[in-house]
Amino acid sequence: MAAGGDPRPGELVVTRDFDAPRELVFRAWTEPERVRRWWGPEGFTMPYCDIDLRPGGTFLRCMRSPGGLDFWVTGVFREIVAPELLVFTDSFADKEGNVVPPTRYGAGSGMPLERLVTVTFEELAGSTRVTVRHAGLPSGEDRDLVRHGWAGGLESLSGYLSGAS
Amino acid sequence: MSSSTLDSTFAALADPTRREILVRLASGEASVKELAEPFQMSLPGVSKHLKVLERAGLISRGRVAQSRPCRLEAQPLKEAADWVEHYRRFWEEGLDRLEDYLQEIQRAGEGGGGR
Repeated sequence: MAAGGDPRPGELVVTRDFDAPRELVFRAWTEPERVRRWWGPEGFTMPYCDIDLRPGGTFLRCMRSPGGLDFWVTGVFREIVAPELLVFTDSFADKEGNVVPPTRYGAGSGMPLERLVTVTFEELAGSTRVTVRHAGLPSGEDRDLVRHGWAGGLESLSGYLSGAS
Repeated sequence: MSSSTLDSTFAALADPTRREILVRLASGEASVKELAEPFQMSLPGVSKHLKVLERAGLISRGRVAQSRPCRLEAQPLKEAADWVEHYRRFWEEGLDRLEDYLQEIQRAGEGGGGR
């Protein structure tokens, strides 16, 4: 799995080198007790985290914002090559783990039900390079989202909502 | 925009009534009473929604007139709409925390040398 390459529209690539052995970094991504210690933006906590780490296995996480808002996220592991590669889907969920439309969390209808996340762990001299590719995001470019949705601002939001109702 | 701001933006937008209020305000300023009419909602009910929108920075309220007309503020909405940026922040901030976590457990010997 090539980590490099330019992101395509709707794809996000984030790379970071960690001063830690690859096995440990991989465990930090796959063991619930470790995931809970760091996953999510600054100030978020994770009151719930369940991971069934096998191909076809699912995970369910609850991220709690500093304001006390809960975001439930679920997904399915598509590919697992320990400690090199993780491929999983990413969807908004309810607390029972059922996939819910992103609009339930305030996203526009341009957001697909499921995004695909590919994480590679490369061994460098004494460090580990993690590359996250997050695909399936509305990029706000040349899509319905811009023409009819939120990215274009309020005029298009207005058109979008009246068209949808 | 901080994650907590983004957070309140999404929370504010999650409600269909509040989205309709924004759509109404897209065509110009309106008083609470004018906003309440199409929803057959009580004034306190609408005021509650307006407070949420105001806290999220999505609207501002006039200070002068007694009706305190509501005005749309488009910027937070535009920022919230860019999901790639949203997720970039999500991962960057998460990876910052992962970095701290890995340092912390390696210092404490909790990582077991990675085995």
